[in-house]
Amino acid sequence: MDLVDIISEKRFLGQEFLTWLWFKSEERGGSVFLPGAGDIQLVFEKHMLLESGEGESLEKLICRGPQTELQEARTGLLMGKKLEQARIYLAKGDYEWRLTFGATLFEYRNVSLPRTISPNDEAADPLAWEAKVLERVGMSEEALHTMDELFRMFLQIRASADWSQELARLKSWIAKGAEN
Amino acid sequence: MGLLSRTTTFVRYSAEGELPGNFWEFAAERIAKFSFRDIDDTFDEYSIGWVSIDNMFDSSFAHASYAVGDYIVLSMRIDERKVSKTLLQKYSRKEEERIKKEKQIPRLNRSHRVRIKEDIRLQLVKKSLPVPAVHDLCWNLANNTVMFFSTSTKAQSVLEDFFKECFGLTIILQVPYLAAAHLLDVSGQERLQDLHPEILV
Repeated sequence: MDLVDIISEKRFLGQEFLTWLWFKSEERGGSVFLPGAGDIQLVFEKHMLLESGEGESLEKLICRGPQTELQEARTGLLMGKKLEQARIYLAKGDYEWRLTFGATLFEYRNVSLPRTISPNDEAADPLAWEAKVLERVGMSEEALHTMDELFRMFLQIRASADWSQELARLKSWIAKGAEN
Repeated sequence: MGLLSRTTTFVRYSAEGELPGNFWEFAAERIAKFSFRDIDDTFDEYSIGWVSIDNMFDSSFAHASYAVGDYIVLSMRIDERKVSKTLLQKYSRKEEERIKKEKQIPRLNRSHRVRIKEDIRLQLVKKSLPVPAVHDLCWNLANNTVMFFSTSTKAQSVLEDFFKECFGLTIILQVPYLAAAHLLDVSGQERLQDLHPEILV
Protein backbone atom coordinates (compact mmCIF):
# COMPACT_ATOMS: atom_id res chain seq x y z
CA MET A 1 0.00 0.00 0.00
CA ASP A 2 1.54 3.38 -0.91
CA LEU A 3 1.44 6.42 1.34
CA VAL A 4 -1.51 8.06 -0.45
CA ASP A 5 -3.63 4.89 0.03
CA ILE A 6 -2.54 4.57 3.65
CA ILE A 7 -3.52 8.18 4.35
CA SER A 8 -6.91 7.75 2.74
CA GLU A 9 -7.79 4.23 3.97
CA LYS A 10 -6.38 4.55 7.49
CA ARG A 11 -7.44 8.15 8.06
CA PHE A 12 -9.86 6.96 10.72
CA LEU A 13 -7.05 5.79 13.01
CA GLY A 14 -5.75 9.28 13.83
CA GLN A 15 -9.22 10.81 14.06
CA GLU A 16 -10.50 8.07 16.37
CA PHE A 17 -7.37 8.51 18.51
CA LEU A 18 -7.94 12.24 18.88
CA THR A 19 -11.62 11.74 19.75
CA TRP A 20 -10.69 9.05 22.28
CA LEU A 21 -8.03 11.38 23.74
CA TRP A 22 -10.65 14.11 24.31
CA PHE A 23 -12.81 11.52 26.07
CA LYS A 24 -9.88 10.31 28.23
CA SER A 25 -9.00 13.89 29.11
CA GLU A 26 -12.54 14.62 30.33
CA GLU A 27 -13.01 11.26 32.02
CA ARG A 28 -10.72 12.35 34.87
CA GLY A 29 -11.11 16.12 34.68
CA GLY A 30 -8.10 16.85 32.47
CA SER A 31 -5.80 14.26 33.94
CA VAL A 32 -4.63 11.17 32.07
CA PHE A 33 -2.59 8.34 33.58
CA LEU A 34 0.36 7.58 31.35
CA PRO A 35 2.10 4.26 32.14
CA GLY A 36 5.68 4.95 33.19
CA ALA A 37 5.09 8.67 33.71
CA GLY A 38 2.10 8.84 36.05
CA ASP A 39 -0.62 11.47 35.74
CA ILE A 40 -0.20 14.14 33.09
CA GLN A 41 -2.45 17.12 32.46
CA LEU A 42 -4.16 17.11 29.10
CA VAL A 43 -6.86 19.63 28.27
CA PHE A 44 -8.61 20.30 24.97
CA GLU A 45 -9.03 24.02 24.54
CA LYS A 46 -9.81 26.99 22.33
CA HIS A 47 -9.84 25.44 18.89
CA MET A 48 -11.26 22.35 17.20
CA LEU A 49 -11.82 21.22 13.65
CA LEU A 50 -14.25 18.41 12.85
CA GLU A 51 -14.83 16.77 9.49
CA SER A 52 -17.33 14.51 7.80
CA GLY A 53 -17.56 13.08 4.31
CA GLU A 54 -14.83 12.84 1.70
CA GLY A 55 -13.80 14.55 -1.51
CA GLU A 56 -16.45 16.93 -2.79
CA SER A 57 -18.84 16.06 0.03
CA LEU A 58 -16.23 16.95 2.68
CA GLU A 59 -17.75 19.18 5.36
CA LYS A 60 -15.74 21.03 7.98
CA LEU A 61 -16.83 22.48 11.29
CA ILE A 62 -14.49 24.90 13.06
CA CYS A 63 -15.14 25.66 16.73
CA ARG A 64 -13.20 28.40 18.51
CA GLY A 65 -13.59 29.88 21.96
CA PRO A 66 -13.20 29.00 25.63
CA GLN A 67 -13.73 25.45 26.69
CA THR A 68 -17.32 25.95 27.79
CA GLU A 69 -18.19 26.81 24.20
CA LEU A 70 -17.10 23.53 22.69
CA GLN A 71 -20.75 22.53 22.64
CA GLU A 72 -20.90 22.78 18.85
CA ALA A 73 -18.01 20.33 18.62
CA ARG A 74 -19.76 17.89 20.94
CA THR A 75 -22.91 18.12 18.85
CA GLY A 76 -20.76 17.61 15.76
CA LEU A 77 -19.46 14.33 17.20
CA LEU A 78 -23.03 13.22 17.81
CA MET A 79 -23.82 14.04 14.18
CA GLY A 80 -21.07 11.62 13.13
CA LYS A 81 -18.35 14.18 12.43
CA LYS A 82 -14.78 13.17 13.25
CA LEU A 83 -12.31 15.22 15.23
CA GLU A 84 -9.50 16.21 12.85
CA GLN A 85 -7.63 18.93 14.71
CA ALA A 86 -7.55 20.22 18.28
CA ARG A 87 -5.62 22.66 20.43
CA ILE A 88 -4.21 20.78 23.39
CA TYR A 89 -2.66 21.91 26.66
CA LEU A 90 -0.19 19.33 27.92
CA ALA A 91 1.64 19.38 31.25
CA LYS A 92 4.11 16.72 32.30
CA GLY A 93 6.25 17.15 35.40
CA ASP A 94 7.48 20.74 35.47
CA TYR A 95 6.92 21.38 31.78
CA GLU A 96 3.96 22.69 29.79
CA TRP A 97 3.24 22.60 26.07
CA ARG A 98 0.45 24.00 23.97
CA LEU A 99 0.02 22.52 20.52
CA THR A 100 -2.47 22.09 17.72
CA PHE A 101 -2.56 18.43 16.77
CA GLY A 102 -3.65 17.33 13.27
CA ALA A 103 -5.02 13.79 13.37
CA THR A 104 -4.73 12.56 9.78
CA LEU A 105 -1.04 13.35 9.28
CA PHE A 106 0.03 13.65 12.92
CA GLU A 107 0.97 17.29 12.43
CA TYR A 108 2.16 19.43 15.34
CA ARG A 109 1.26 23.05 14.66
CA ASN A 110 1.96 26.22 16.63
CA VAL A 111 3.75 24.29 19.33
CA SER A 112 4.56 26.48 22.26
CA LEU A 113 7.47 24.80 24.05
CA PRO A 114 8.01 24.89 27.84
CA ARG A 115 9.76 27.93 29.24
CA THR A 116 13.08 26.94 30.68
CA ILE A 117 15.72 28.75 32.69
CA SER A 118 18.40 28.83 30.03
CA PRO A 119 19.13 32.26 28.53
CA ASN A 120 17.34 32.98 25.28
CA ASP A 121 19.80 35.53 24.00
CA GLU A 122 21.60 35.62 20.69
CA ALA A 123 24.25 33.27 21.97
CA ALA A 124 27.60 34.11 20.42
CA ASP A 125 29.20 31.29 22.36
CA PRO A 126 28.95 28.10 20.23
CA LEU A 127 28.40 25.94 23.30
CA ALA A 128 25.52 28.12 24.50
CA TRP A 129 24.03 28.04 21.00
CA GLU A 130 24.33 24.26 20.89
CA ALA A 131 22.71 23.98 24.32
CA LYS A 132 19.81 26.15 23.15
CA VAL A 133 19.29 24.01 20.03
CA LEU A 134 19.48 20.76 22.01
CA GLU A 135 17.00 22.10 24.54
CA ARG A 136 14.47 23.03 21.86
CA VAL A 137 14.94 19.73 20.06
CA GLY A 138 14.58 17.86 23.35
CA MET A 139 11.37 19.69 24.27
CA SER A 140 9.91 19.10 20.80
CA GLU A 141 10.80 15.41 21.00
CA GLU A 142 9.31 15.16 24.50
CA ALA A 143 5.97 16.38 23.10
CA LEU A 144 6.25 13.79 20.32
CA HIS A 145 7.16 11.06 22.77
CA THR A 146 4.25 11.89 25.07
CA MET A 147 1.77 11.84 22.17
CA ASP A 148 3.36 8.54 21.03
CA GLU A 149 2.73 7.00 24.44
CA LEU A 150 -0.87 8.20 24.43
CA PHE A 151 -1.29 6.79 20.92
CA ARG A 152 0.21 3.47 22.08
CA MET A 153 -2.37 3.39 24.93
CA PHE A 154 -5.14 3.96 22.40
CA LEU A 155 -3.82 1.31 19.99
CA GLN A 156 -3.50 -1.31 22.72
CA ILE A 157 -7.15 -0.84 23.67
CA ARG A 158 -8.38 -0.34 20.10
CA ALA A 159 -6.85 -3.62 18.91
CA SER A 160 -7.92 -5.65 21.95
CA ALA A 161 -11.04 -7.42 23.21
CA ASP A 162 -11.52 -4.55 25.71
CA TRP A 163 -12.38 -2.15 22.89
CA SER A 164 -16.13 -2.94 22.94
CA GLN A 165 -16.37 -1.78 26.57
CA GLU A 166 -14.22 1.30 25.92
CA LEU A 167 -16.33 2.09 22.84
CA ALA A 168 -19.53 1.89 24.92
CA ARG A 169 -18.08 4.42 27.41
CA LEU A 170 -16.91 6.65 24.55
CA LYS A 171 -20.36 6.60 22.93
CA SER A 172 -22.01 7.35 26.25
CA TRP A 173 -19.65 10.35 26.74
CA ILE A 174 -20.46 11.66 23.24
CA ALA A 175 -24.20 11.32 23.89
CA LYS A 176 -23.98 13.07 27.29
CA GLY A 177 -21.76 15.84 25.94
CA ALA A 178 -24.30 16.82 23.34
CA GLU A 179 -27.16 16.85 25.88
CA ASN A 180 -25.48 19.38 28.24
CA MET B 1 7.95 28.59 12.27
CA GLY B 2 11.27 26.84 12.48
CA LEU B 3 13.20 25.06 15.17
CA LEU B 4 14.40 28.29 16.78
CA SER B 5 11.13 30.23 16.48
CA ARG B 6 9.07 31.09 19.54
CA THR B 7 6.44 28.58 18.43
CA THR B 8 7.24 25.73 16.08
CA THR B 9 5.35 23.56 13.62
CA PHE B 10 6.57 20.13 12.58
CA VAL B 11 5.91 16.66 11.26
CA ARG B 12 7.99 13.54 11.73
CA TYR B 13 9.62 11.30 9.14
CA SER B 14 11.46 8.03 9.53
CA ALA B 15 14.61 7.56 7.47
CA GLU B 16 14.85 4.14 5.88
CA GLY B 17 18.20 2.47 5.32
CA GLU B 18 21.54 1.94 7.01
CA LEU B 19 23.86 4.84 7.79
CA PRO B 20 27.42 4.36 6.55
CA GLY B 21 30.06 3.38 9.17
CA ASN B 22 32.05 6.59 8.68
CA PHE B 23 28.86 8.58 8.98
CA TRP B 24 30.21 12.00 10.00
CA GLU B 25 32.71 12.04 7.13
CA PHE B 26 29.96 10.96 4.76
CA ALA B 27 27.60 13.64 6.13
CA ALA B 28 30.26 16.37 5.87
CA GLU B 29 30.96 15.49 2.26
CA ARG B 30 27.27 15.28 1.26
CA ILE B 31 26.24 18.45 3.09
CA ALA B 32 29.10 20.41 1.48
CA LYS B 33 28.18 19.06 -1.94
CA PHE B 34 24.50 19.94 -1.50
CA SER B 35 25.01 23.25 0.29
CA PHE B 36 23.11 26.26 -1.03
CA ARG B 37 24.50 28.20 -4.02
CA ASP B 38 23.40 31.79 -4.36
CA ILE B 39 21.70 32.82 -7.63
CA ASP B 40 21.35 36.55 -6.93
CA ASP B 41 24.05 37.40 -9.47
CA THR B 42 22.98 34.89 -12.11
CA PHE B 43 19.87 34.37 -14.23
CA ASP B 44 19.25 30.89 -12.78
CA GLU B 45 15.60 30.27 -11.99
CA TYR B 46 15.97 27.92 -9.06
CA SER B 47 18.47 26.92 -6.40
CA ILE B 48 18.12 24.52 -3.48
CA GLY B 49 20.64 23.60 -0.80
CA TRP B 50 21.52 23.36 2.88
CA VAL B 51 22.26 26.38 5.07
CA SER B 52 22.72 26.87 8.80
CA ILE B 53 19.50 26.97 10.86
CA ASP B 54 20.95 30.05 12.52
CA ASN B 55 21.61 32.08 9.39
CA MET B 56 20.24 31.54 5.89
CA PHE B 57 23.34 33.25 4.42
CA ASP B 58 25.72 30.76 6.06
CA SER B 59 26.04 27.83 3.66
CA SER B 60 29.54 26.90 4.81
CA PHE B 61 28.43 26.50 8.44
CA ALA B 62 31.23 28.82 9.49
CA HIS B 63 29.34 30.23 12.48
CA ALA B 64 27.16 27.34 13.62
CA SER B 65 27.71 23.67 12.99
CA TYR B 66 25.05 21.33 11.62
CA ALA B 67 26.31 18.67 14.08
CA VAL B 68 24.63 19.10 17.46
CA GLY B 69 25.00 16.11 19.79
CA ASP B 70 23.47 13.07 18.09
CA TYR B 71 21.54 15.31 15.72
CA ILE B 72 22.05 16.96 12.37
CA VAL B 73 20.25 20.29 12.18
CA LEU B 74 19.94 21.97 8.79
CA SER B 75 17.80 24.41 6.90
CA MET B 76 16.71 23.60 3.38
CA ARG B 77 16.83 26.89 1.48
CA ILE B 78 15.05 27.29 -1.84
CA ASP B 79 15.47 30.45 -3.93
CA GLU B 80 13.19 30.77 -6.90
CA ARG B 81 12.56 33.46 -9.49
CA LYS B 82 8.81 33.54 -9.96
CA VAL B 83 6.73 35.22 -12.65
CA SER B 84 3.11 35.98 -11.96
CA LYS B 85 0.57 34.54 -14.39
CA THR B 86 -1.02 37.95 -14.87
CA LEU B 87 2.29 39.55 -15.87
CA LEU B 88 3.12 36.68 -18.21
CA GLN B 89 -0.27 36.92 -19.88
CA LYS B 90 -0.09 40.70 -20.25
CA TYR B 91 3.37 40.80 -21.87
CA SER B 92 2.71 37.74 -24.05
CA ARG B 93 -0.46 39.35 -25.41
CA LYS B 94 1.38 42.62 -25.92
CA GLU B 95 4.09 40.88 -27.94
CA GLU B 96 1.48 38.97 -29.97
CA GLU B 97 -0.25 42.25 -30.84
CA ARG B 98 3.05 43.81 -31.87
CA ILE B 99 3.90 40.93 -34.22
CA LYS B 100 0.41 40.85 -35.74
CA LYS B 101 0.62 44.53 -36.48
CA GLU B 102 4.13 44.25 -37.87
CA LYS B 103 3.27 41.32 -40.16
CA GLN B 104 -0.20 42.62 -41.00
CA ILE B 105 -1.85 39.31 -40.11
CA PRO B 106 -5.12 38.81 -38.19
CA ARG B 107 -3.91 36.01 -35.90
CA LEU B 108 -0.95 33.87 -34.92
CA ASN B 109 -0.95 30.10 -34.89
CA ARG B 110 -0.77 28.19 -31.61
CA SER B 111 2.86 27.10 -31.82
CA HIS B 112 3.93 30.69 -32.47
CA ARG B 113 1.97 31.91 -29.45
CA VAL B 114 3.54 29.18 -27.27
CA ARG B 115 7.00 30.25 -28.43
CA ILE B 116 6.26 33.91 -27.67
CA LYS B 117 4.99 33.00 -24.22
CA GLU B 118 8.16 31.04 -23.41
CA ASP B 119 10.40 33.88 -24.66
CA ILE B 120 8.49 36.39 -22.56
CA ARG B 121 8.63 34.10 -19.53
CA LEU B 122 12.42 33.89 -19.81
CA GLN B 123 12.71 37.66 -20.13
CA LEU B 124 10.53 38.20 -17.06
CA VAL B 125 12.39 35.54 -15.07
CA LYS B 126 15.65 37.40 -15.70
CA LYS B 127 14.10 40.60 -14.39
CA SER B 128 12.64 39.09 -11.24
CA LEU B 129 14.50 38.69 -7.93
CA PRO B 130 14.85 35.23 -6.36
CA VAL B 131 12.31 34.67 -3.57
CA PRO B 132 13.79 32.67 -0.66
CA ALA B 133 12.04 30.01 1.44
CA VAL B 134 13.74 28.32 4.36
CA HIS B 135 12.60 25.15 6.16
CA ASP B 136 14.42 23.64 9.15
CA LEU B 137 14.97 19.97 9.83
CA CYS B 138 16.43 17.98 12.68
CA TRP B 139 17.70 14.47 12.02
CA ASN B 140 17.91 12.27 15.11
CA LEU B 141 20.70 9.82 14.31
CA ALA B 142 19.98 7.63 17.34
CA ASN B 143 16.53 6.56 16.12
CA ASN B 144 16.83 7.68 12.47
CA THR B 145 13.85 10.02 12.54
CA VAL B 146 13.66 13.48 11.01
CA MET B 147 11.58 16.34 12.33
CA PHE B 148 10.70 18.71 9.50
CA PHE B 149 9.48 22.12 10.53
CA SER B 150 6.81 22.71 7.92
CA THR B 151 3.35 21.34 7.17
CA SER B 152 3.43 22.59 3.57
CA THR B 153 2.87 19.56 1.35
CA LYS B 154 4.92 21.21 -1.40
CA ALA B 155 7.89 21.76 0.92
CA GLN B 156 7.56 18.20 2.24
CA SER B 157 7.58 16.79 -1.26
CA VAL B 158 10.71 18.81 -2.15
CA LEU B 159 12.42 17.66 1.06
CA GLU B 160 11.66 13.98 0.36
CA ASP B 161 13.37 14.20 -3.04
CA PHE B 162 16.25 16.41 -1.88
CA PHE B 163 17.03 14.28 1.19
CA LYS B 164 17.14 11.16 -0.99
CA GLU B 165 19.37 12.87 -3.53
CA CYS B 166 21.73 14.15 -0.85
CA PHE B 167 21.99 11.26 1.63
CA GLY B 168 20.67 8.34 -0.44
CA LEU B 169 18.02 7.60 2.19
CA THR B 170 14.26 7.52 1.70
CA ILE B 171 12.27 9.39 4.31
CA ILE B 172 8.65 8.44 4.99
CA LEU B 173 6.10 10.70 6.65
CA GLN B 174 4.95 9.10 9.90
CA VAL B 175 1.19 9.19 9.47
CA PRO B 176 -0.76 7.40 12.25
CA TYR B 177 -0.82 3.94 10.63
CA LEU B 178 2.95 3.95 10.05
CA ALA B 179 3.69 5.49 13.46
CA ALA B 180 1.57 2.73 15.02
CA ALA B 181 3.79 0.05 13.50
CA HIS B 182 6.72 1.39 15.56
CA LEU B 183 4.68 1.35 18.77
CA LEU B 184 3.19 -2.16 18.66
CA ASP B 185 4.67 -5.64 18.86
CA VAL B 186 4.24 -8.09 15.97
CA SER B 187 0.85 -9.43 17.09
CA GLY B 188 -0.38 -5.87 17.67
CA GLN B 189 0.71 -4.90 14.16
CA GLU B 190 -1.22 -7.85 12.72
CA ARG B 191 -4.36 -6.82 14.59
CA LEU B 192 -3.85 -3.26 13.39
CA GLN B 193 -4.13 -4.37 9.76
CA ASP B 194 -7.62 -5.73 10.42
CA LEU B 195 -9.02 -2.61 12.05
CA HIS B 196 -11.86 -0.80 10.33
CA PRO B 197 -13.44 2.60 11.02
CA GLU B 198 -15.68 2.62 14.07
CA ILE B 199 -19.03 4.33 14.31
CA LEU B 200 -18.77 6.45 17.44
CA VAL B 201 -22.45 7.33 17.90
